[in-house]
Amino acid sequence: MKDKTLFSTCPDGEFFGRASEIEYICGRAGAALPAPAIFLFGRRWTGKTEVLRRVFRNLFWGQARVVPLYYQFRGGRPGEEFAEDYLKEVLKQYLAFRLRDSRLVRNELTLDKIESLLVDNDLYDLADLAAVHREAKKAGDETAALRNALQAPTAVSARSGIPVYLILDDLDRAVSGAGQNEARLARELMDSLGPSSFVASASARRLIEGGVFNGPAEAIELEGLDEETASSMMMDLCRLYGVGFDAEIVKLGAHRLDGNPMYMRNLVWAASKAGTGLTTLKDFADIYTQELFEGNTGFALKSALGLRGINALRVLHACSIARKPLTSEELSERFRQGESELDSIIRTLSAAGLLEASLGSLKWTGDAAVKDFVYFAYETRVKGRSTEEVRTYLAREVLKEGFNFRSSKIAVNPQDEVSEALKSFNGQKSRKVLFSHQAFAARFQKGAQKAGAVDDGELAFPQVVGCFDSERLEANEAGPPIIVAHGFQNGRYDSGNEVVWMAAVKDSVSPVNIGDVENFLRRSQILRENFRAARVVRWIVSREGFTAEALKRAEAEGVLSSDSVQLKIIRENLESRGKGAGAAEINGIAPVKEFEVVLPSASKAELVAARAVEEIGTEMGFDDAAIGQIKAALVEACINAFEHSRVRTAKVYLKFAASAKRLTIHVQNGGVDFDSLSEAASAPAEAGKLPKKRGWGFELMKGLMDEVRVEKVRGGAKVVLVKYLVRKGDGGNGQEI
Amino acid sequence: MVKRYRNFKELGDTVVLYPDDYINDIEGEKLEDLCANYLDRGFRKIVVDFSETELVNSIGVSILIGVIEKVRERDANIYFSGLKRVNYDIFSIVGLTKHIRIFETEEDALGIGPKTAGQAVL
Repeated sequence: MKDKTLFSTCPDGEFFGRASEIEYICGRAGAALPAPAIFLFGRRWTGKTEVLRRVFRNLFWGQARVVPLYYQFRGGRPGEEFAEDYLKEVLKQYLAFRLRDSRLVRNELTLDKIESLLVDNDLYDLADLAAVHREAKKAGDETAALRNALQAPTAVSARSGIPVYLILDDLDRAVSGAGQNEARLARELMDSLGPSSFVASASARRLIEGGVFNGPAEAIELEGLDEETASSMMMDLCRLYGVGFDAEIVKLGAHRLDGNPMYMRNLVWAASKAGTGLTTLKDFADIYTQELFEGNTGFALKSALGLRGINALRVLHACSIARKPLTSEELSERFRQGESELDSIIRTLSAAGLLEASLGSLKWTGDAAVKDFVYFAYETRVKGRSTEEVRTYLAREVLKEGFNFRSSKIAVNPQDEVSEALKSFNGQKSRKVLFSHQAFAARFQKGAQKAGAVDDGELAFPQVVGCFDSERLEANEAGPPIIVAHGFQNGRYDSGNEVVWMAAVKDSVSPVNIGDVENFLRRSQILRENFRAARVVRWIVSREGFTAEALKRAEAEGVLSSDSVQLKIIRENLESRGKGAGAAEINGIAPVKEFEVVLPSASKAELVAARAVEEIGTEMGFDDAAIGQIKAALVEACINAFEHSRVRTAKVYLKFAASAKRLTIHVQNGGVDFDSLSEAASAPAEAGKLPKKRGWGFELMKGLMDEVRVEKVRGGAKVVLVKYLVRKGDGGNGQEI
Repeated sequence: MVKRYRNFKELGDTVVLYPDDYINDIEGEKLEDLCANYLDRGFRKIVVDFSETELVNSIGVSILIGVIEKVRERDANIYFSGLKRVNYDIFSIVGLTKHIRIFETEEDALGIGPKTAGQAVL
C-alpha cells in the first residue's frame, strides 16, 4: 500500500475532539469563492498544530480544488535562512501534490535537488525561483531573497492554474520579534498574505486585534476539550497504556488540566511509566506534581516559557496570582524595574501567550498547569524552597480542590433546580404530597408505596412572571439563599391574585434543622415587606431532608417542605406536563428508580442497551409488544449516538428512569448533534414507489415511542425517549401504531 | 428437489432465506449478497422468513428496501414471512407493508400453509 504519511501527527487513536474544526477549515479552503483568512487561536498545546497538519493531510489527499501548502514558523531566524526554508517547502510541497508523492513532503531536500526535480518535470518558471534565490544569496540581498520566497505561492498558483491554500502554523512566531530585521520580515510576510487564502495558528489574538493583519479574517478559538470529550480521551489513553483508573478521578484530572490534550497525554504516560494507576485522588496529585516538576510537561513548560532572568519570573508570578489585572506601574514599583526592562519582559510574556497587555493593564492568560509551574519555579528559584516542600504544598492544594470538585459533582445544584421548577409552574397543578415532606415520607417509605394511602388533593401553581434570589434585598443575612418567584394565581392578572413564592434551599450534607426553619421564618417575614402581594407561599427545599423537629415547626407555620427526591418528581412532572403529556401524569408521584449504563464503542453495543431495557421494562410491567418497541427505538437512538460522536472511540451514556407511569430513557453522546428528522424519511413516497432508503432512525423512534425529543447538552446532544406504562390486561402499553 | 441449509432452502426456482436474529448493516449486506446471488442463478422467487429475527434496525431496513428494488428490477418476486410484532411495526412505519406481501408463516408464503394452500402464491 502506498505510504500516505505527510507531516508527523499523533496516532489517530490519541487524537480527540477536533473533527468539526478540521471539517470547517477544509470546507472553507475548498469553497468555490476565495475564503477570508482564518486565524486559529488557542493556548499552547491545545492541538493547533495537529489540526493544521490534519487539514493539510485532508486537502492533500482528498481534493484537487486548491494546492495545500503547510509551513511552521520558528522564531529568531535570520531573514535569508527563513527565505530559503520557506521557498523549499513551497516548491517541494507543490511537487509532492502534483506528483502525489508524500515522500517529497517528508524528506529533507536541498534547494538544488528541488530545482532539478522542477526542471525534470518541466516546471521551469518555478525552477527560476530557486535560481533567483541563489543569486540574491550570493549578492547578500536579504530583502530580494525574502520577497522571492514569499511570492512563491503566487507563482505556484499562476503555474498550476489552481489557487494555493496556505496553512501557516505558529504565525505569531514570525511577527513577534522586536528587532529591525524581524519587523521587516513580518511586514513583508503580511503584505504577501493579502491576496491569499490561508489559515494561520497563533497563541495570542493580537495578530488581528493589534492591526498586524488588516484583511478580512475570521477567528476560531481552540479551547481545551470539553469535560466529557476530555475525560473520554483520558480514559481511552489509560486503557491504551494499561493504566488502571477510576472514572471520577479521570474526570477530575481532565478538569484540572483544562482539557489540554498534551497535559492529559503526558499525565497518562507518566502514570504508565511509574506503574501506578489513576484510581484515587492521591494518585492523581502525586503523578500531577511529579509530571509538572520533573516530567515531560515540566520540561515542555520550561522551554516554552523561556523565562529570561529572575525578574520575568517575578512578573509572571505576580500576574498569575493577582485577583485583578495589574498595571505596569504597579509592577515597576513592586520589583524596582526600569521601564525598558519591564517592557521587554511584558512583550516576551505576551508573545508566549501568558499575559494580555491592554490599555496599560496586564491580565494573566495562562492555564492552571502553567500557573502551578510558575508557582513551583518562583518558590524554588526566588524563595529558595526545596522541590519537595513546594511539591507537598501543591499536592495538598490539588487534593483539596479535587475533593471540592467531587463534592460539587455529587448532585445537580438544588438551587438551580428550584429556580427552574418555579419558572415552569406555568399555572399547572401538582399533588400536595410533593410539598409536604412528612406526608411524603409516610407514604413512600424506602421507595415502596404504602397500601391504603389517601388522596391528599392538589396544589395549584401560579403563572410565574419572574424569579430572582434575595441577595440584593438582604445583603448581610446569614443562611441559605432564598429564591423569590412572583406570579399570578387562577389565570387572573389582578392584585387579588398576586402571589409570591419564597423558597429557601439548603444544599448541604446535613438536614434542615429547627434553626434553619426559624431563620427562614424570620427572613421571609422581613422579605415580604418588599412585596405588596396578597399572598406569600413559603417553601423549604433540602438536599438531605429534615429533622423531625424542623418538620413539625414548618408544618405548624404552613411552610411547604420538599427533599431532593420530591423536587426531582416535581421537576419531572412539570416538565412532562409542560410538554403535553396530559393527565396521565397527575398521579405520577412515586419515587423514580434510575439505572445508568455506559456503552463502549463496539460492534452491536446497542444490543447491550436493548437487553438492559428488556429487564427494566419487564420489571415495570410493560407487555412484550411494548418492550419490543422500546428495544427497537433504543437501538436506533444508540446507533445514532455512536454515529454522531465527536470522538471515534466515544461511549454512549444511557440513563433509564422508571416511574410508576412511564419509562424515560436518556441517550447521550459526546457528539455534535443527533440526526434530526430527515427530509428523505419524512417526505411521503411517490405513489407505487418504494420508500426512501435512508434516514429512518428518528421516524422509527417517533413511531415506536410515545415521546421523542432531542436536547442540546454541554458537550453534545441527548435524545430522550418516553414510553407510558399501561399495566398488563389494560389493553396494551403505549400508543397504538 | 428441496435443498435445506442453515440459512437458506431451495425449492425449484424458489429460495427461502432465514436471516439472523439481528439485522444490522453486516447481516443486511449478507442478505443482500445472498439475494443477488440467487437472482444471478436464475431464481425467480425469494421468501425471507424472519421467524428467527428479533430485530431489524434502520440500516437493515434500508438494505432490505434496496433488495426489494433489485428483485423488482429483475422481474422476480420477494415475500416476507414469520415477522415478529416489532418488526412488523417497523416495516409498517417505513411503509414497506404496502409494497410487499407479508405472510404469517413460511408455508403460507410458499402456498402450502393452512391459509394459502392451493393458492398460487408463488
